[in-house]
Amino acid sequence: MAGRGSLLLLALIWTACRAEGGDARLDFFESKIRPVLVSSCLPCHGGKKTESGLSFRSREGLIAGGDRGPAVVPGKAESSLLVAAVRGVEPDLRMPPARALPVQAVADIVRWVNEGAVWPSDDPALAARSADRKPHWAFARVRPVAPPVDRTGWAESAIDAFLAARWSASGVIPARDAPRATLLRRLSFDLIGLPPTEDERTAFLADKSPLAYARLVDRLLASPHYGERWGRYWMDVARYADTAGDNADYPVPEAALYRDWIINAFNRDLPYDQFVRAQLAGDVLARLKQTVDPQGAVIATGFLALSRRYGTGPYELWHLTLEDTVDTTGRAFMGLTLRCARCHDHKFDPIPQRDYYALYGAFASTAFPYAGSEEFWTRKTPRKGFVAVGGNESTLAYGVAEGKPADVAVQRRGDPGQPGGIVPRGAGRFACLEMPPAGSAGAGESGRLALANWLVRPDHPLTARVIANRIWQHHFGRGLVATPSNFGRSGAAPTHPELLDWLATRLVASGWSIKALQREIVMSRAYRLASNAPAPSLAADPENRLYARFSPARLDAEAIRDAMLLVSGKLDRRMHGHHPFPPIKDWRWTQHSPFKAVYQTDRRSVYLMTQRLVKHPFLAVFDGPDTNVSTDARTRSTTPTQALYFLNNPFVREQASALADRLAAAASNPQARLEHATLAVWDRLPTPGESASLLGMIAHYKAAAGNRPGSDREAWASLAAVLFSSSEFLDVE
Amino acid sequence: MNHPREIRGTLDRRCFLGAIATAAGVPLHAALAQAAHDQGAGLRAPRPTHHAPRARRLLVVFLTGGFSHLDTFDPKPTLTRLHGKPVPSTGLRPEEAAARPLLGSPFRFTPRGQSGLMVSELFPRLGAFADDLCVIRSMHTDIVEHFQAVLAMHTGSATVPMPSLGSWLSHGLGTFNPNLPSYVVLCERLPYAGVQVFSSGFLPPIHEGVRVIPGAHSIADLEPPPRPLALAELERMMLRDIEDRYQAEPHRQARVRDRGATFEVARGMMHEAPDALDTAREPARVRALYGVAEGDRTSFASQCLMARRLLERGVRTVEIVDTGSSDNWDAHGNMHDHVPKALRVDRALAALLGDLKARGLLDDTLVAICTEFGRTPWTDGPSGKGRNHHARAFTALLAGAGVKGGIAHGQTDDIGESIVANPVHIHDYHATILHLMGIDHTRLVYRYAGRDFRLTDVDGEVVREVLA
Repeated sequence: MAGRGSLLLLALIWTACRAEGGDARLDFFESKIRPVLVSSCLPCHGGKKTESGLSFRSREGLIAGGDRGPAVVPGKAESSLLVAAVRGVEPDLRMPPARALPVQAVADIVRWVNEGAVWPSDDPALAARSADRKPHWAFARVRPVAPPVDRTGWAESAIDAFLAARWSASGVIPARDAPRATLLRRLSFDLIGLPPTEDERTAFLADKSPLAYARLVDRLLASPHYGERWGRYWMDVARYADTAGDNADYPVPEAALYRDWIINAFNRDLPYDQFVRAQLAGDVLARLKQTVDPQGAVIATGFLALSRRYGTGPYELWHLTLEDTVDTTGRAFMGLTLRCARCHDHKFDPIPQRDYYALYGAFASTAFPYAGSEEFWTRKTPRKGFVAVGGNESTLAYGVAEGKPADVAVQRRGDPGQPGGIVPRGAGRFACLEMPPAGSAGAGESGRLALANWLVRPDHPLTARVIANRIWQHHFGRGLVATPSNFGRSGAAPTHPELLDWLATRLVASGWSIKALQREIVMSRAYRLASNAPAPSLAADPENRLYARFSPARLDAEAIRDAMLLVSGKLDRRMHGHHPFPPIKDWRWTQHSPFKAVYQTDRRSVYLMTQRLVKHPFLAVFDGPDTNVSTDARTRSTTPTQALYFLNNPFVREQASALADRLAAAASNPQARLEHATLAVWDRLPTPGESASLLGMIAHYKAAAGNRPGSDREAWASLAAVLFSSSEFLDVE
Repeated sequence: MNHPREIRGTLDRRCFLGAIATAAGVPLHAALAQAAHDQGAGLRAPRPTHHAPRARRLLVVFLTGGFSHLDTFDPKPTLTRLHGKPVPSTGLRPEEAAARPLLGSPFRFTPRGQSGLMVSELFPRLGAFADDLCVIRSMHTDIVEHFQAVLAMHTGSATVPMPSLGSWLSHGLGTFNPNLPSYVVLCERLPYAGVQVFSSGFLPPIHEGVRVIPGAHSIADLEPPPRPLALAELERMMLRDIEDRYQAEPHRQARVRDRGATFEVARGMMHEAPDALDTAREPARVRALYGVAEGDRTSFASQCLMARRLLERGVRTVEIVDTGSSDNWDAHGNMHDHVPKALRVDRALAALLGDLKARGLLDDTLVAICTEFGRTPWTDGPSGKGRNHHARAFTALLAGAGVKGGIAHGQTDDIGESIVANPVHIHDYHATILHLMGIDHTRLVYRYAGRDFRLTDVDGEVVREVLA
């Protein structure tokens, strides 16, 4: 069976295999046959060693066979020596020698041979051919591109020029510029996740200067609420939760420090390269005094510490936790789905299995905190591994530290019970074949800092593209790459590759300033377009992949709740802080009685306590964050449960009543009240038709109720609730 | 065949068709091709099957905690004979391995029905339906922890979060009644792994199991706040007025129409779900059959009756979770702890099977009665009367549409420790259920994060021997 040499062989036979044309037989080969051949046959028949002169490196090799003759006769399992060998019917021809294959694997091989021993045409032998192939765009260096010249005069910025260059050839003409009120609402929700207040609206609409919009952008980017909005996007990517996810879902009160660090990092525009380094290796940076904010850097490693926990005891099923760490790291920073490489070389991207275990080794060499689990109660294992912030033991963070450094073995077929060869921790290319590999760890190091430094090299092909795309995605509703955490071959191709490279280049050139990039994006004319478009443009580009209009989007869960609270006057704008968990001495949760709580608050939704095993009831209804898996884009569904929420939920009714009281206090005249109401919820005055109709219905209701006391408040509260459930409130154009 | 009832209520035909087409989950950004496809097709509209289905609805009865195969449906006379003999045992963790005495079942088994299927005295009434039951004695799963094993039984994955069986069915088949969810989970107390058990995972959220907590507030926000009827009508009129004006611009029409449809469905649910869930509307004779007492809204029996009412109203998948993550079938200390658990479900399950049969519903309803794992043939703990978790062999049942009744499939060894014939992995169990519902489990895929995912991962074989 495979020994130490197998790794080399795995590397040798590595090939960027692509699924071809949906041939089920190829899928079968990839899912059932390749893993078996790689793990059970190649170690002895393939690379340096070709026992019996037989090579499994290619279909041809199998057909040519070895000393005993052809190993495979396509279509004829009964005549194929390979089949006889894995069946073990003849004592002197029993393969693999150490341990028979599972019955299912044997049956699969029989089927595969009988179906013609199909093998991807661009595969091995192919080791030579794959080198000629043009590298996948995302793994090639970012190219500096100059924006095209816009001869129509429409473009106001480089971004506009890139977009406009595609329009005429596609039969698309740009939409009109959006009205200023629409723009105000769009930008406000976009940058701070809240609608404008009445004063803000009045000020902006009264400012006739050509610089008014730029001033608005700057004001919103400087608002402390900006970090609460944009930090939340990163929390999705980091699968942030306030609990550990073990079988009893123990709380992690200290996770909130990491949440607040993210919010502050966005607010003070922490350069993205530092943002990355802090989250992967902040503890090391603090120790080496390579950061101006050692306290924050330690807290930032919450990104790693928050890996999902499993089981009922400390560090139980630990390989699953590390799998989450590797997977989330790959998706978040590199836009790669590394998880595929846990069991076999990646099927689509040039990521050998050893790269997976290189990263795995770095995290296996890291000391993670333990927040408690069932055994916390039953066996009194104390919480441990929390890290002191700024050398001060009184403030502990849920972060990581360097652990016992050790290189790990490849887990063949992803099974910890089948160790393969040892891989140096941290070192890998992760598909970036034009780069030198990430530096391997020095003695005594986990290798996380070397990895982080490698990721933020200015010439890294993925890091800047991935974050620039995420930023674009949240401004426009869809990334230039529509699969923001998958830049590999199985992900979507960029609709505007030159623009993406231009954005990535600008980002690095600006010193990795996220706000500078955002300013450039929202100042573009393309961002300021209206949502309605001429019919021919709609027909030519129904999905708006060319950005010739602004795609409306339903507010996300947080914005819906925050906007209702703002409009009702109940929003508590205090930032940061801890959840009211019970004191640790009272913790007694078990898998039989897991932790479960919902804490009421009128603060912004980013401060709601989110668990791993129980969804927050409000966030669940509106496609809130998945706390278990790194999420790059939330679903924006429109469901009957949302309708039930608006129709009947007490929170909506409370906000509606509060708004009705505000309206009553502001004006007694129905028309004036209605104007306050629609301004607050829609950012515009009612049309005469709306006024006549809605005020008529309210009057009619009150009359039918005999104008009894209370009927006025009821009717206005009903109007407020209806406004909250209206499309004009829920969809931002 | 008993077909789901016509949609009743206040919906007119146009609204009804609209509701079917857009009953849910319409992403505003067609960011991914899949989402666009789903949107076009209507996420819950009935969809064609891969082959002719034997079953059109699924009822899952999940008995939480790991009921013992050795004390229910897999009799082991040898184990009784060797009672007390120490054998090397494997603990939950390697360090717990030790020699432990074998434990014969304290319960008597008798042949039941025409088939003579062996059923223990724990299930006297369910045993009367022996000829309808297909007992799979050779189930096995991958992990012996409750949490992971419960997830595996529901989602096929013991580790990473994946969509539940009922969510896959909603995605693959749609549903019959747009006024009700396509996957309803009757669950008074959450099982291990909580809501992940009926999560839609990466599938559109409309496919998530809707948990019904039997009692006063069974579905969140289903009940309107106390208010005059005229006020509800005022709101409805104002919303329609506002939305009609808003959609005057053509680019808004689709969004407004889709959202309007969800409000119609929600009102449909407000109208239909309370009735569907109200077992008090059943005749006294039927309630007596199940064992539902006057005023009882929360018992297991009452949930069984609710399940029937939901199935006949066209819900695609109904699951009953008998109890939560404590006080369940997890009999470490004493196998006699199975007695109250069995007593709680035996009569109602038998009544449910009988009722489905009498109404013809069993002709197109598949019933799956299962648990997360089995229990060891040796004792656990100092009392010497209970059993530990056991993943290498356990029992699950199938009954109803398309299933051979009165048979036992698969075989465990003389003490029920390991499987000696026809192993059925949980992936195989799922593949078989999907097959009966008309779905090829290898073709029910969803592309997520760059790869096609399936309920059965890359495994699973249909257990053809149990198909009628």
